[in-house]
Amino acid sequence: MPTLSGGLSDWRCMQKPPRRHGPDVSIEKTWADLANNIREIQNHNAPNLSFEENHRFAYNMVLHKQGEMLYKGVKQLVSENLDHLASTQVVPAFPSGASDETVQSQEAEMLLKALRNIWDDHTSNMVRLGQILKYMDRVYAKSADVPEIWDVGLNLFLKHIIRSPIKEHLVTAILTQIQFERDGYGVNRSAIKGCVDVFLTLEDTNGLTVYKRDLEPALLRESQTFYESEGVKLLQSCDAPEYLRRVESRFESEDSRTHHYLSHNTAPALRQILQEHLLTSHLNAVISMETSGLDAMIDLNKTNDMARLYHLFITVPTGLMCLKRALKDSVRRRGDAINQASSGIEGGDGDGQLTGPKSRPAASLGAQTLTLALKWVQEVLDLKDLFDKIWKEAFSSDRELESNLNEAFETFINLNDRSSEFISLFIDDNLKRGLRGKTDTEVDVVLDKTITVFRYITEKDVFERYYKGHLAKRLLLGRSVSDDAERGMLAKLKVECGYQFTQKLEGMFHDMKISEDTMKAYRTHLSQTVAPTIDISVIVMTSTFWPMAHPTSTCTLPLDMIKTSKSFEQFYLSRHSGRRLTWQPSLGNADVRVTFKTKKHDLNVATFALVILLLFEDLGADEFMTYEEIKQATSIADSELQRHLQSLACAKFKILKKHPAGREVDPSDSFSFNADFSSSLQKIKISTISSKVESGEERKETKDRIDEERRHQTEACIVRIMKDRKHMTHNDLINEVTRQLATRFQPNPLNIKKRIEGLIEREYLERCDDRKSYNYMVIRILLVWTQLTDMTRHELRTQTCTIISHTVFYTCILMILQRSNIDIFPDSYFSAGSSLYLTRSRHYLTSSSPR
Amino acid sequence: MADVEMTAASDADWVRVTSDDGYSFLVRRKVANASETMRDMLDTAGNYAEAIARVCPVQQRGVIVEKLLEYMSFKAHYADAGPRDEIPVHEFMDRIPPEIVLELLLAADYQNM
Repeated sequence: MPTLSGGLSDWRCMQKPPRRHGPDVSIEKTWADLANNIREIQNHNAPNLSFEENHRFAYNMVLHKQGEMLYKGVKQLVSENLDHLASTQVVPAFPSGASDETVQSQEAEMLLKALRNIWDDHTSNMVRLGQILKYMDRVYAKSADVPEIWDVGLNLFLKHIIRSPIKEHLVTAILTQIQFERDGYGVNRSAIKGCVDVFLTLEDTNGLTVYKRDLEPALLRESQTFYESEGVKLLQSCDAPEYLRRVESRFESEDSRTHHYLSHNTAPALRQILQEHLLTSHLNAVISMETSGLDAMIDLNKTNDMARLYHLFITVPTGLMCLKRALKDSVRRRGDAINQASSGIEGGDGDGQLTGPKSRPAASLGAQTLTLALKWVQEVLDLKDLFDKIWKEAFSSDRELESNLNEAFETFINLNDRSSEFISLFIDDNLKRGLRGKTDTEVDVVLDKTITVFRYITEKDVFERYYKGHLAKRLLLGRSVSDDAERGMLAKLKVECGYQFTQKLEGMFHDMKISEDTMKAYRTHLSQTVAPTIDISVIVMTSTFWPMAHPTSTCTLPLDMIKTSKSFEQFYLSRHSGRRLTWQPSLGNADVRVTFKTKKHDLNVATFALVILLLFEDLGADEFMTYEEIKQATSIADSELQRHLQSLACAKFKILKKHPAGREVDPSDSFSFNADFSSSLQKIKISTISSKVESGEERKETKDRIDEERRHQTEACIVRIMKDRKHMTHNDLINEVTRQLATRFQPNPLNIKKRIEGLIEREYLERCDDRKSYNYMVIRILLVWTQLTDMTRHELRTQTCTIISHTVFYTCILMILQRSNIDIFPDSYFSAGSSLYLTRSRHYLTSSSPR
Repeated sequence: MADVEMTAASDADWVRVTSDDGYSFLVRRKVANASETMRDMLDTAGNYAEAIARVCPVQQRGVIVEKLLEYMSFKAHYADAGPRDEIPVHEFMDRIPPEIVLELLLAADYQNM
């Protein structure tokens, strides 16, 4: 009925109201009764009192303008009661000053409980008073602008109880209890919470809670001192895992403390103190502890400890940095150890030849390099596995740490300048090995992993070169596990490095397939004509795809073999005019049936070895041939000849006898046919003793070729970019080139600059007037077709390269013409070989002025 | 003890309201709670004599108490009404006899409703 009660102030002037306790009962009497009753309420006698009566007392006093008297009177009564409670309950609970900790704790608990008791008592009294004095709150307190009686109660409690020395005793008691709990003893948490809650409820005039004003600063001060010494103490007494465990439990216990009986507002400040004194100041000391730090954890595979370390460390800003550094160091150290192990034998490699017969023979050196390579890659893979596992299980797959780890791997892998070779050897071995036991899927898993290591290599072009060499050997000798596995690997490389990277490799596969078809056609052809006496199988390799461009080692073939090869040559050239075939006997092998005294054997030997063997065909049983004679007859180069003689005379199957006997072949030796040779096997494969995987000289050559190829690539890249942009500043150009080439190798800015100079000289670019940028020069091509074809034909004929398809060259020119007459510089589409022709052919083209 | 009282003090309890001329009314606690004074009086936390006996003495004539309770029932009934629901305040006002209006006003003020 709110509308009705609004008219309260009007009623007196209208009509005399009916009253029971009107002015006829004196105000003094009313107050005396009410005060009496209030004391009774404070003595817990409310159930014996009538609410209605007391409510009406207060109502009447307010109604008769005695609100102020009532208000002050009640205040007075409450104050008196509070003083009484303090002196009877709190003061007796003050600590006795005992030195025993347990007693101190008990006393503190008593004090806190006493405070809570009088608080509960006081508040329930205030609730009751508030109920009977509600009319006063409503009418008097509002108009007189004084706080309601409940708030008065809180203020009085603050004034009469939370004061010196009670306040200090309370704060000390709470701190004592917390310290007691930190030391590992049990305390009555609810007692502390009771008191803390009171502190949190009471506010001083500034709106600041007693908790915030008096307790929290003292608490934080105390915690700071405690954890400062605690950190130092733990560091001295614990190893790293134990330290981390303790610290973690400290964090947890402080968390539960703030959660259970302190304010949650204190949690961040407290955490900060812990982080500062237990973590930030000891990060390095903990992570690098001699026998138990991060390194030891990695060694002992303590995933849980590392996970703990990670979770604690990332809570502080410097933690991740510290962890990253330690991880990097660890990877680097392990990687360096692996590199060290692989370079240990490498040193002996270079001068192996010089130190004489005592040093390892060439064959075992090669094998050693292979083992070394396999060991190196395997160890790198194991290391990668190890850190991947740690990263996933302990470091929650943290992205930042991943890139950090990758960086570390990249650094140490690239520190080993043979990493590309090793990885290629490893892949080679796996693709060959597959025949012996491993299933395709197993090989696939290994190769997948290898790719992850491959990713770290910055000089991918070096890898490509090695891979090409190894692939060529696998294809020619038919040693691949399976075509699928090879193509799978190729696909993986393609995914990693793009189309350009694998183009030539794919070309090699293509050649293999084409050769197969050619051979089929050739056989059909032979069946229609007179076939030569020797059966021949030829693989035609496009010279630019295959890595066999070293000066070809040749030999004088016996007449029969020459006939056979000529027959194929005729057949082939009749099908493909304008091509040129160069025989590579050093890559071939032959099956030959040899009659020994006991029985006949089928031998599989290298082509060179066959040529040597054939020399003995017409010789008597006891006749000799000296090294020099053999050399003259075959005209095989010394190194090759030694190698093949060694495999025929000094290896497992001794087809030839060497005089004098021995492991090494010397130019003064002589040889005879070993007619007494016998073996239980019908078919025997005479494997050629392999030359070293790569000698120092070869490696240098490889390097030179790589450098040359890089020059071409850099130029091609510069031209590609400039063609697209037309104008660019020097720095932009360098950056762009570096970025584009980064997938293949790490270009040196100085080299790029040199290439730019070269291109300016050849009028592909021009320097702008500001000296800081370049323009692309457009070249118009006017082509005198007949002249070009004649001259290029001549040019091509004189080339020494194996097979050159000049139609490829024509196609290039035509393509260029179709593509708006611009740019005839090597694009990535053209192999290095054909690009050479293109640059030269500029002389045959009339170039008009730019722009 | 307090717990028992608390659980017993549900809205569906019956409490007795008496007038000073001897009338006695039984109402649901929910209705009695419509008056703040009565609510405090019956509050088990305060636990005054009235709360224990569950009797609210109102020092008014029976006819006034009756009208108070009628309004309190009305208020309790519509306490949960939504903003769209129509509350028939005018009908209720029509039911207040003019001769007791003043007394009713004082009583309502006292009862803080």
